[in-house]
Parts: sequence; structure tokens; C-alpha cells
Amino acid sequence: MSDEHTTGSGDGAPVAGEYVLGVLSAAERRAFEARLAQDPTLRAEVEYWEQWLGGLASEVKPIDPPPHVWTDIESALAAQPAKTGLWQNLLFWRRAAIGSAAVAAASLAALAYLARLPTANEPLVAKLEASGGPARFVAAIDSGGRGLTIVPASLPDLDRRVLELWLIAPGDHPRSLGLIEPGRPIHISLPADLIPRVAPDATLAVSLEPLGGSPTGLPTGPVIASGKLTNL
Amino acid sequence: MSVIEYCAVRGCFRQPSIERMTALREYVKVHAMSGPAGPTVTIEQDAARKQLVAALARIAGGDRGALQILYRDTSAKLFAVCLRILHDKGEAEDVLQDVFITVWQRAGTFEPARASPITWLVAIARNRAIDRLRSGAMAARTQTIDEAAAISDNAPSALAQIEGWQEHRRLMDCLGELEPRHADAVRSAFLDGITYDELARRMNIPLGTVKSWIRRSLLRLRECLER
Repeated sequence: MSDEHTTGSGDGAPVAGEYVLGVLSAAERRAFEARLAQDPTLRAEVEYWEQWLGGLASEVKPIDPPPHVWTDIESALAAQPAKTGLWQNLLFWRRAAIGSAAVAAASLAALAYLARLPTANEPLVAKLEASGGPARFVAAIDSGGRGLTIVPASLPDLDRRVLELWLIAPGDHPRSLGLIEPGRPIHISLPADLIPRVAPDATLAVSLEPLGGSPTGLPTGPVIASGKLTNL
Repeated sequence: MSVIEYCAVRGCFRQPSIERMTALREYVKVHAMSGPAGPTVTIEQDAARKQLVAALARIAGGDRGALQILYRDTSAKLFAVCLRILHDKGEAEDVLQDVFITVWQRAGTFEPARASPITWLVAIARNRAIDRLRSGAMAARTQTIDEAAAISDNAPSALAQIEGWQEHRRLMDCLGELEPRHADAVRSAFLDGITYDELARRMNIPLGTVKSWIRRSLLRLRECLER
């Protein structure tokens, strides 16, 4: 705990708890947020109070908003650039190939791999992307449904963290499919209990996790990309 | 061979392994030192939380259906939080819309290890509502809030479960250790989102007094929560 941020019975700089409580003026809030952007310790303090004091919100009885609020949200989102379909989007492959020579090779390898798939089963694929950002991974389920190949298209700075792949079936919580490696395609054998969950509308997601993978069995870091499985 | 290489080959992360337990202990150690500990949550027992985490992960990938699910499960609570601060239905509706568009854009920044989904959402909603309240741009609308008519009759079970957390009881216990008027000041500041000035006016006490009450209360709350 940092005394600098938690003490201050005088008129010193506002503490994180005061910001979270909401007792600061507009100008004080802006000044505090400017400090917040620079100071991870302060950010941790704010998160601490948000988590604890957030419980007070349970004293507020839920009130249904009128139906037009959701339709307004839908309209606002519709006005944002639409996401194009996966395989029509040549630009996607071009963008993927620009990443690096290795990634370009990997993307081509995945294409070649997909081209080889038997046509009897409709192959399942997913484009995993960040909200509004460029696609970051492409995944294809083996024709037998027992394995999965994932190809990175572009990667963020990992900052001593690792990438963990998750399967989220509708109505289910995320199930780990293991760690994936930046920079090269990887093939994962799907565990038997998860095979039935690999179906259209299930989501694949990649999160940043501490070295060794999520310690909790659920994503603990930010989800950097996700996308739905669809029939090719 | 590193843990990552080993597990990339073996796909071992679904079962506990020596490597995994070591990584877990290491993570817990680093995490415990990196900042103050928030409420601890028994994730395995909390299906509601998992659902919200899953919805946020899907939203991060641009899944509008997941946003609708999140809206269905949390909008009544978030709307009530905004309404309590703003005292104006129209303003609260605008802020609520803004909150969900923000969530759509920023779901990828949500880190389940650092925050519970509902408190993350409540924090966004409160920040937006407080900023709106401070902006002075609030129209002089006089619409009354008929709370009895508007109260949700189908309070989402997800939230009901989340609010059953022991942590909430612990916060209540710690608030109970404060002087009653100090605890009232903390509760009122949080729920109404009002400034020190307004708080002093409502409680009819000098500004300096209310500031020292709040600051002392925060210190004592923290001592109690970390006990």
C-alpha cells in the first residue's frame, strides 16, 4: 500500500477513494484522471475502491430502462463500420500477410491447408479480431472436428505474458484450449469433452495471461481477440 | 524446454501439473505484491460471473448478440445507478446508452483478474453519470421518477447471485464500525455521486468537517477490509 495515495487528512491531492466515491468537482476529477493515466499504483488504488465500494450499488433496486434505450444502442452500433464476412475479404489476407514473412508464410500455409480439406464436412473457421481492429488470428477446425489450427495474423506487444486460447460455447463459460505461440501457426488436439462444444456460434477467444497460462481456469487478462466459428 | 514449449506440445493446461502449480504460485505471489488486494472471489462457484466474463469476451470480438445478453442482465441495475445520481430519466437513458456503447468499444480492456464484471460496469456507469452531473449541461427536466411503477419485476438472477458475495457483507460490516453519520456520508457520496460541497450542504455541516469525515472513513474502511 502506498501511503502517498491513502493518507492525506489535510488538503493534499485527492486520494483514489475520494475519486471513486465521487466527491470531487469536475476540475478535480480531470486533474485526478490525468495523474491516473501516468501512475499504475494509483490505478490499482482506484480498482481497489471500485471493487469494494461497488458493493454499495446493491442498495439500488434495479429499474428497467424503457425499450427504446436498447433500440437506440442498436442504431448507434449499426452506424459504425460493419465487419465484413471472413472469406470474401481479400484485404484481410493481404493485411495478414504484411505482418511478417513468417506470418505471411503461415497464412499461406493455412490457406493451402484449408484448400486440402475434404468437402464432405463443412469446415468450421473463425476470424478472431479485436473490436474494430484488424484481425489477429485465424482458426480452422479439422474436418474430423478433433483438432484446430490457429494462425496469428498480427500480434500486440506481449509484455512478458502468454497467449491462451479459449472456447466459449453459447451459454457456457470459457474453456481453455491451451496456450498458443506468437509468430507461428499451431495445431491443437481438442480434448474429447470439448469436441461436442465446437460448433457454429461457439466463440474462440485469445487472452493475455501470466506466464504458464491462466491460474484460475478462466481468462484473467484482457481478451485481445475473439470471433465466432462459422461454416466456411 | 520451457513451460510454454512443453505445453504447446502436450496441451497440458487443462490439468493441474507441477509446472502449472508453480506458475500459479508465482502468479499469486507477483499479484499479491503488485497492488492492494480487492475482494477475493471464488470464481468456480460463481456461474453468473462466468457468464458475464464470457459475454464480455465475445463482445470484445464484435458479437452483438453477446452485448444484448449483457444488456438484458445488467441494464436495470446500471439504469437505477445512473437514475439515482442524475434524478432525471432522460439523462439516465442517455448515459445508459453511452455506457453500453463504451462497453462495446472497450470490452477488450476488461481484465477479469483485476475486476469483477459487474463492478467494472458499475464503475463505468457511475463515472459517466457523475461526469454528466458535473457538466452542468443537465436540462431542467421535471419528469418525476415513479419508482414503484418502474422497479424491475424480473431482477436478473445473475445480479442477484453476484450481490450475494461475502465481500458485500464484509463492506457492510466495516461500514458498521464507522460512526453512523460518517458511514451515512460515505454511502450517500457513493450512491448520489455528489461533491463535498453538496454533501456538506445536505448534512448541514462545514465543508472541512465532511472532508475529514470522508478521508478518515476511507482509511478506517481500508484497515478493516484488510484485517
